[in-house]
Amino acid sequence: MAKKLMKGCEAIAEAAIQAGCRYFFGYPITPQNDIPEYMSLRLPQVGGCFLQAESELAAINMVYGAGGAGARVMTSSSSPGISLKQEGISTIAAAEIPCVVVNMMRGGPGLGNIQASQGDYFQAVKGGGHGDYHAIVYAPASIQETVDMMQKAFDKADEYRTPVIILADGLIGQMMEPVELKEAKDLQLPEKPWAATGYTPGGKKPRSVLNSLYIETEDLDELVDRLFERYAVIEKNEKMVECYNTEGAEYILCAYGTVARICKAAIRILGEQGIKCGLVRPITLWPFPSEAVHEALAQESVKEALTVEVSAGQLVEDIRLAANGIKPVQFMGKAGSRIPSAEEIAERILEMKRG
Amino acid sequence: MREYYVLLGGFGSGKSELALNLAMERAARQACMLVDLDVINPYFRVTERQDMLDKAGVEIISPPYSMKKIEIMSLSPRVYAAFTPGEGTVIFDVGGDHVGAVALGQYKPNFSNIPADKLNILFVVNPRRPVAADFQSAWVLLEKIQGVSRLRITGIVNNGNMAEETEPEHLLEGYELVKALSDQTGIPVWGTCGQPEMLEAFETMAREKGLEEKYIGQLYPIEILMHRSWGKYLEEGL
Repeated sequence: MAKKLMKGCEAIAEAAIQAGCRYFFGYPITPQNDIPEYMSLRLPQVGGCFLQAESELAAINMVYGAGGAGARVMTSSSSPGISLKQEGISTIAAAEIPCVVVNMMRGGPGLGNIQASQGDYFQAVKGGGHGDYHAIVYAPASIQETVDMMQKAFDKADEYRTPVIILADGLIGQMMEPVELKEAKDLQLPEKPWAATGYTPGGKKPRSVLNSLYIETEDLDELVDRLFERYAVIEKNEKMVECYNTEGAEYILCAYGTVARICKAAIRILGEQGIKCGLVRPITLWPFPSEAVHEALAQESVKEALTVEVSAGQLVEDIRLAANGIKPVQFMGKAGSRIPSAEEIAERILEMKRG
Repeated sequence: MREYYVLLGGFGSGKSELALNLAMERAARQACMLVDLDVINPYFRVTERQDMLDKAGVEIISPPYSMKKIEIMSLSPRVYAAFTPGEGTVIFDVGGDHVGAVALGQYKPNFSNIPADKLNILFVVNPRRPVAADFQSAWVLLEKIQGVSRLRITGIVNNGNMAEETEPEHLLEGYELVKALSDQTGIPVWGTCGQPEMLEAFETMAREKGLEEKYIGQLYPIEILMHRSWGKYLEEGL
């Protein structure tokens, strides 16, 4: 397909359709309304179904239903709306139903504001809903990367029967960039023998039951053990990270999403002043690429690391866990959607150098 | 007597960009008022360029709270000031698609009082935007916008571009689109806009290919004032 000039929200929606998503259930909230808007236009054209639910809770439970029937399904929202969906996400994880949830983060807590933010890191990575579960979390840094990630998100959701979260921010959603969409050719969706697609008495297919209620201790235990065996496989196989300019660097910046892009600009500024600075950008936030972070920081050349985020200190906890004390990890960040400039980040590194 | 420009079109077709450029150009020689009638975009709206507009002497009418960084679903009563007698130019920047154009409907009685030769209702198209990229969908959108805005479009604008990756070929694609739209609807092409170097290259191409003048209209050079691109964002913030 020829390159198009697309808003992040539109590009995500179109990429989902190319990945075989035919069902979208959602409820409006800024700054991601362009996703449902686009889906409402496009899904009927490809034989799919767009439905604006009466609430976020209704939307996520419709996702449960469609995903449970084996369809490729997606919902999207922004921070406060994602909070409302957490009960459903926990249930979906427990019932082992594949789906994709997009969060175009805005400022929080509470209703917060509508500017871009990264305040939902803990929510996405450490659970969000109740109980012992994980969701695969992708954190794209550009519209093109988001588009490329959508296919993977749906594939991994199906492969591991798990919810997948795309954790982006309002900036990605509202920005416009030229993007190239790959047209899906002969999309082969995987077999889903577990899906609840109807039961014929006397038929060959056993009755499919999708459930998250396990009254007996042993039964619940068995479910959680099964989930965590699968999580171990995901941790082994699915980590994604970008290491930029890290080899032999004196300082390492750690950031994800759009902030990582700003960090790259800071690295150029520092380079002009003869300071070698690198960036470790986790692309999957869960599973977290701890080894890559540790490896980058363990280099002899590295003096210190700096985590930059648009939140009051969330990613920095995982970076410090990964660093495990091998090098000091400083923190730079603020909630309330205060996005740092490349100059501010560079200045902070210079301050660290001055000691 | 004031001259009016109303900018309509699909989401992200470049209405705000053209609105700002028109405003800056007009303000250099006469009174100019810019009305932010966008009920769609939470950010990337002309009101964010208030400082620049103030300096240039453009009077801007913004929705209440528009700089408070919340969503605006209401319109300022000051919009009516745009219809009072006066001199110079008034430019309306309207939200995208028929959804955004709804905001105009209520001003139908006011627009009805403006003589036709003072009213420019422009439909901006960019063939590289996904929703209204081909003739059929752009035409449907044009008709829908005319319906909800209760205004007749008087000119079509070719704004073929790909932000920082723009090439003259995008204007060529835009030419084909505005030509088809113009032939179908009978609405003339108002102009072709782009950064000066793109327009220059397009002009050469137009000569070589023998493109028809009437589907090019005036060549209207623009400067990028209303960006949504990452490069500009890094330099200037939102």
